[in-house]
Amino acid sequence: VNALVAGVLAIVGLTLIKATPLIYAALGGVLSERSGVVNIGLEGIMIAGAFTGVAVSGATGSPLLGTLAGIAAGALLAALLAFFTTRLAVDQIVAGTGLNIAALAGAAFGITLVYHQPGASREVPAFGTPGQTVLVGLAFAVAIALQLVLTRTPWGLRVRACGEDPSAAEAAGIDALRTRFTAVVIGGAIAALGGVYLSLAELDLYSDGMTAGRGFIALAAVIFGRWTPLGATGAALFFGFFSALQYSLQRVGVPSELMQALPYLAAVIALAGFAGRVRAPAADGVPYVRG
Amino acid sequence: VTAANFLRGRTVRDLLVVLVVVFGVGSAAMLLAHVSPLVGFGALFDGAFGTPEEVAETLVQATNLLFPALGIAVAFRAGLFNIGAEGQLVLGGFAAGYLGAVLPLPAFLAIPMVLLAGAAAGGLWGAIPGFLRARFHANEVIATLMLNVIATLLATYLVNGPLALPGAGPSETPTLPQAAQLPDLVSDSRLTWAFVIALALAAFLRWLLGRTVFGYELRAAGDAPEAAKRAGIDLGRTALVAMTISGAIAGLGGATIVAGELHRFNTGLSPGYGFIAIAVALVGNLDPLWIVVAAFAFGVLQSGGIAMQAEAGVPRDVVSLVTGLVIIALAGRRVVASLRMT
Repeated sequence: VNALVAGVLAIVGLTLIKATPLIYAALGGVLSERSGVVNIGLEGIMIAGAFTGVAVSGATGSPLLGTLAGIAAGALLAALLAFFTTRLAVDQIVAGTGLNIAALAGAAFGITLVYHQPGASREVPAFGTPGQTVLVGLAFAVAIALQLVLTRTPWGLRVRACGEDPSAAEAAGIDALRTRFTAVVIGGAIAALGGVYLSLAELDLYSDGMTAGRGFIALAAVIFGRWTPLGATGAALFFGFFSALQYSLQRVGVPSELMQALPYLAAVIALAGFAGRVRAPAADGVPYVRG
Repeated sequence: VTAANFLRGRTVRDLLVVLVVVFGVGSAAMLLAHVSPLVGFGALFDGAFGTPEEVAETLVQATNLLFPALGIAVAFRAGLFNIGAEGQLVLGGFAAGYLGAVLPLPAFLAIPMVLLAGAAAGGLWGAIPGFLRARFHANEVIATLMLNVIATLLATYLVNGPLALPGAGPSETPTLPQAAQLPDLVSDSRLTWAFVIALALAAFLRWLLGRTVFGYELRAAGDAPEAAKRAGIDLGRTALVAMTISGAIAGLGGATIVAGELHRFNTGLSPGYGFIAIAVALVGNLDPLWIVVAAFAFGVLQSGGIAMQAEAGVPRDVVSLVTGLVIIALAGRRVVASLRMT
């Protein structure tokens, strides 16, 4: 019985560890999309957070400063995306795709410049297990807070109004462009924390490609979680659980590729509406241009 | 867009934006790496044009970008964001590599069969989001994004698992029989008849999109979906057909890489051609003719980037950085009046 309990606890622990970066990224995605901006650039924002966190922690010796810098970097990239998508009304999808490519390359370039070696940084001061536990707990706190903000505060109502019908929101006196901008930037800051978690809590370095598509899984979690913070957190836990099971199931003969593909398959199925009623915010992805 | 249109108004501004991003950001990055931009860009252009072999390699890179870019343009023109060219290209390459290796056929059959297999696999992979869009109004962006990852995992699983062939390395198919290999265009280079096929395809697509009823319907669905619907155009069918063609073209590109350059499928066959091709399609203003020009320009960056790193010591990531920024800068050039997720 003790072995069973230990086994279950190990799986729960591993699930939390694997789900946390997904939760941060998915929460950033939820906030952005509820305001009407699809953030395809979540992956790039996580990369920026992971890389900047390591670079600043390495330079200052403080993982806390690294974390703050990583969050700032994510917010900055999100602000770039927000500026292009709200003020210039460019296509959100195309811009986000460009952001992912640029961020991955920018981090690789930065690694070579700072560490004079391609591929990975050196080890830097990181949080270790205690800090990791805090960041895991914080993810759930942010999820609950965001749920309350979106459903119970005037600002949350304004965000949702802009995601459903920005023209009507403006008619009601809301500055839709500004609201979207703020939501995307805060969303970027939250998503960047997922990247920081990877490089400064789960590990203590940055290596090229370390986010490994988690930003895309987070997009899937947003859909699977029906665009709500708690729903997306649940979806992230679900995907994290399968990621945690991967090693055990591989031993039983389930191909690891199938396990890795699961979040993406689930998202495609959810998209097609097979998973019950799934409805995106009505103006999600539609640039708003003042008439 | 005619040549005359391209040379005036908005497109000139766009071209200037691209040049400023490429040379401005490129120079800044080189200065950060303590390399003079003159030396860095000198090495890049020398690497792309210095010798006949290097020119051939530049054309190889242009070809590899041209196929997915043409596919992306077909979908974008129909108002559909096919972000999935990478996955379609990978699966096209796998189908080509696998069938080419297992079916013993004479050359006049083997090469068309290998190319068709690639187009069919890519087309099928493109048809999935097209179908989901047509039937369930599912957002094709997210679907293609997810299917990219699934495609790579599927190909990796198949090539190492149920469809593994004897005599192949890990994550590879065995070498294609001579009969299934695309003949070289220039001996001792990787430049094959794929280059000619790509150019012919661009000419065909220009005619198809610009001069046929089908092309008109496709563009109408992209430019003014509501009006197209009232005019009796079946938007669902158009989405399915456009995505299938788009995927087939990207899959054909994967097949030419396998049959022409590598002579086998390898899971690492694409360094992200399907994503860089988005930049190519946008810079080419979604017009097959100008996409050829844009593919050449990005081919220069791709092939010259290697020399820039080796000769001038500038990490070649600068090329991808610039490519991503070009995409962001041009994201607004054509606001596609796409039917959004309902």
